[in-house]
Amino acid sequence: MAVVEIESLTKSYRVYHKAEGLAASLAGLFHRRYRDVHAVRGINLTVEAGELVAFLGPNGAGKTTTLKLLSGVINPTSGTARVLGHVPWRRENAYRRRFALVMGQKNQLWWDLPAAESFRLHQQIYRIDRDQYERTRDELTSLLSVRQLLSQPVRELSLGERMKMELIAALLHSPEVLFLDEPTIGLDVVAQYNIQQFLKHYQQQRGITTLLTSHYMKDVAALCRRVVIIAQGQIIFDGSLDEIIGRFGGRKVVTLLFSNGHIPGDLRAYGEVLSAEPPRVKMLVARNAVTATLSRLLEHHPLEDVSVEDPPLEEVIADVFSKAEDIGRRSGAEAAGRLVGG
Amino acid sequence: MRTHPSYLRVLLTFARNSLVRDMTFRGNFLIETLSSMSWVIMNLGFYVLVFQHTPRLGAVTDWGEYAFSWGKYEFFLFLSTTLVINSLVQTLFMENASEFSELIRTGKLDFALLKPIDTQFLISLQRVQWASLGNLAVGVGLAAYSLVRLGWVPTAAQVGLYLLFVACGVAIMYSLMIALAATSIWLGRNQSLYDFWFYITNFSRYPMEIYHGPLGTPLRLFFTFIIPVMVVVNVPARFLIRPLVPQTVSDLTLPAFAILATLVSLTASRYLFQRSLLSYRSASS
Amino acid sequence: MFARTSTWWTILRISVEERLVYRGDFALSTLMRFLPIVTQIFLWWAVFSAAQSVEPGNGATRIVGYAYHDFVAYYLLTMISRAFSSMPGLASGICRDIREGTVKKYLVQPIDMLSFLLLYRIAHKVIYYAVAAAPFALVFYLCRDFFPAGWPEPQILLAYAAALLMAFLLGFFLEATIGMIGFWFLEVSSLLFIYMLFSFFCSGHMFPIDMLPGVWGELVRLIPLQYLAYFPAAVFLGKVQGPELIAGLWIQFGWVVFFIAASRVAFALGVRRYSGFGG
Repeated sequence: MAVVEIESLTKSYRVYHKAEGLAASLAGLFHRRYRDVHAVRGINLTVEAGELVAFLGPNGAGKTTTLKLLSGVINPTSGTARVLGHVPWRRENAYRRRFALVMGQKNQLWWDLPAAESFRLHQQIYRIDRDQYERTRDELTSLLSVRQLLSQPVRELSLGERMKMELIAALLHSPEVLFLDEPTIGLDVVAQYNIQQFLKHYQQQRGITTLLTSHYMKDVAALCRRVVIIAQGQIIFDGSLDEIIGRFGGRKVVTLLFSNGHIPGDLRAYGEVLSAEPPRVKMLVARNAVTATLSRLLEHHPLEDVSVEDPPLEEVIADVFSKAEDIGRRSGAEAAGRLVGG
Repeated sequence: MRTHPSYLRVLLTFARNSLVRDMTFRGNFLIETLSSMSWVIMNLGFYVLVFQHTPRLGAVTDWGEYAFSWGKYEFFLFLSTTLVINSLVQTLFMENASEFSELIRTGKLDFALLKPIDTQFLISLQRVQWASLGNLAVGVGLAAYSLVRLGWVPTAAQVGLYLLFVACGVAIMYSLMIALAATSIWLGRNQSLYDFWFYITNFSRYPMEIYHGPLGTPLRLFFTFIIPVMVVVNVPARFLIRPLVPQTVSDLTLPAFAILATLVSLTASRYLFQRSLLSYRSASS
Repeated sequence: MFARTSTWWTILRISVEERLVYRGDFALSTLMRFLPIVTQIFLWWAVFSAAQSVEPGNGATRIVGYAYHDFVAYYLLTMISRAFSSMPGLASGICRDIREGTVKKYLVQPIDMLSFLLLYRIAHKVIYYAVAAAPFALVFYLCRDFFPAGWPEPQILLAYAAALLMAFLLGFFLEATIGMIGFWFLEVSSLLFIYMLFSFFCSGHMFPIDMLPGVWGELVRLIPLQYLAYFPAAVFLGKVQGPELIAGLWIQFGWVVFFIAASRVAFALGVRRYSGFGG
């Protein structure tokens, strides 16, 4: 069953274009010039129940805008979307009780109060009955091991602890759909790991449909099988993580260990040399030429050991982003489509 | 299962949470209460001075068997009504209205829009400023003292009507405040919100009879029928001060108009609020 | 030399550009400030019309020596006094500088904090007067009937100008001295609020201090706050004249000198305490 259905969803907004110079600013008093920014351009996407999907993309690609559209916080310019059968921007209470949005960069808990008080407010607003509320709260606080911090004012908590509390607040009403916007931003490695583990566990146990945006590839690798890459407001890839590497990681990292400790001078002929620290050399070789290159190398040079790996995911994705931006800058929509095709 | 929350219980939780917060900064709370009370008392001092030099404000109105004028204690009853209404508005809405633009600036309005509860209710009442209740106490005290000095005991019906129209006054003031906050979002500036509010509500602080003449009459009509701040205090205060026997046509029409003004203000401000949300929701990224 | 002139020119041009954008706003908000006076006009009309049976406008009835038009004129004149003597954000700014440690820059760099703040404040006020002059002139023109005596004599005008100028200096050094409290107490906003209250009541901003009876009136005349609003207005209206006027100006001058010294001493003591704690 499809939980999220998006069809040619578009969101543009106008920004006031400020003119420079005295004459222009005088003119600006009477006539304002605007510039249209296209945050999301015609996105199509379907997410099935229980899926965990990651949105990847450079800053300003439209990931957060998409999540805000699906939460009904903002209105689209055109297109349709349905989440759990509801049109999000109608903001019906029936819909708003069924999902949650967590934003890593904004906090909604009362700053000067213990988190427990904010939770109680949520209980009232979402009309959660007492037993269920207490059960969920206790379960979540022990899963995230923040039980003893419940009565401490939020301003005294660390960033990681605060984020855990924000998550609990969002999950108290047992949402069926969860939108996570950069949930681990600014956290240290341990806190990041804890939150990842929690999300993984919680998602598996409850099977709730989750859409996540993140800058940390580790979040994505740990949590999501399905990845959607958005750039320039469009979906340029939709598939598994492995596929990204298969499709976009055109080259492999080959590590060579020379048995005589001496590095030959003609290595450039085989591929791009990344590093050379005798007796070890790392180089990039085109995926389809790996076998041929290796056999030629073995033929001409004394090699003690050879290993072939995929390049790190971060690099592949960064590469995809920069390609998408280049092409997007050159010819906009149509070119990005081509990237999806090829 | 009902889809909307119990608004009363949510409101009580707002009030409770605000109190918990205030009690964590007890010293600050006390100073805030005392300083806003001393402001009120200084104002009172000014009127005490004024009434040293005059027996009343304006002329005596004579309606056959009954004569009325704004003497010292009649005016103090009026003043206490101003205090009661203003302190209620400050306690319930002031902090929230000024916070509204901050919510928009920081994008935290998103959270309010997510909640399965009326957004205007949530935005308008989230924080209760308990410190402003000190002025309510001063207002009630002043009213009691003035009634004693006048030797006047209002009937239960009078008190009931008084409370009803105080509620109307609070609603009109709230509408004006939330409308100002919403329009300031539109205009993209907010600094002058509080000033503007102060200047406009200033016209509610005196009995409307004092506005007459070539400048006063248009002012009175404008601030009664266009921006109805003059009915806010005048209507309830009259119910407490005079016997319930209507003396003039306006004794009947003005309260009726106050009810109408309340309904219109609430509707208009709700419309403005929704429009400002709409522009937020279509303009933000 | 040329380079410096062009820098100044650029700064000037940018400020003018910026001002142009906000000028409409600013003029409007200056006009709005006069709105409370409208209610005062009607309040005093009501007071005077109760105190006499004939038209209050004829000036026959006087309250503490003020005719109806004098009260209105007085309120208008205190707006001018306050335009000179009010120092929005001065004391709280000093306290914030101390609390956040930015005050250190005055200890490290060769600038004297009080002189710097004074110069800044003068520049600020000059720009304010340039923009506020038109709305002020408009209001006074519309209200000219409240000044039946017309312009005062030249000597009085001169004394008025001196009183305004000293009101500015007194306002500055008085509030700067209060700001130095920040060296001793961290949370000063409520103290500042209480000062503001007193200043509103005792400076004559709310009503002419002649209205205060007996010992209260004498007490308020002893403290310097009246020179911030009441005194210049009273000079203009001819309420203080002759030797009393000369004495008043000298006392105002004395208070200015006193607070210049007080702010210096407080700053020196404060800095010693601040460095003693290791900042």
